[in-house]
Amino acid sequence: MSSDAECIDGMLRGDSSAFAEIYQRYRTRLQQYARSLVRSRAEAEDVVHDVFIALAKQVSDGRKPRELPAYLYVSVRNRCFDRLRKKTEQRLDEGDLELLVAPPGDAERIGQRRTLERALLALPAEQAEAVVLRTWHDLDFAAIARLQGTSINTALSRYQYGLAKLKKELGADER
Amino acid sequence: MNDERFEARLKAYRLPDVSAALDHRVLQEGRALVEHQPTGTTLQDVGHSLLDVLGFGYVAWLVDLVTATDAEYGVELI
Repeated sequence: MSSDAECIDGMLRGDSSAFAEIYQRYRTRLQQYARSLVRSRAEAEDVVHDVFIALAKQVSDGRKPRELPAYLYVSVRNRCFDRLRKKTEQRLDEGDLELLVAPPGDAERIGQRRTLERALLALPAEQAEAVVLRTWHDLDFAAIARLQGTSINTALSRYQYGLAKLKKELGADER
Repeated sequence: MNDERFEARLKAYRLPDVSAALDHRVLQEGRALVEHQPTGTTLQDVGHSLLDVLGFGYVAWLVDLVTATDAEYGVELI
């Protein structure tokens, strides 16, 4: 497995397998992040598609992104917000959104998946984003803060408030 | 339940897979783009090296600062 920088250098040399490696490394996380923002599977797919094609074009033009993960996350975020601004109202596509997959055979988590997703989507957008990025993407609070254009303390607070609400919704605050 | 246990409980959920249709779209179009113009870098690298040699490395740095960010979309927060 090559590093991000090695893959970008490979792309600059015209090696499409390097592009495939980057895509496979980030596709799942970026798709889930996009779903959590635009709340539509189809639109999230379009966003992820557009982001990777823009990356391929940019690198083909000889312009390297300086920090690939930050570039990809910011691109997804901006494109999702761009789509949300164009919508007259937020249409929730919760029925088939599928933000998370429960571990097979884990009856409790399978049963609570929909409740968790609903609770996550009911959070204020910045809190939901902080919870998603911290919990399932392993981003640190500095990275979340940069993405949200806020301070580390604010990102941390958003995460903590969001987590507390999820605990309450799932009845985990009483155990 | 404390925060650590609750976080661990959430982390047990995994992220959904990407559809084969998206894989196909991205890889096919991306491959065509990457294989089409492999020479862009060389020109950029030559330009950078030349500027460095001439003592104008900061110019290349400034160009990178402007062009290597997400060029089509500026960061805009709601």
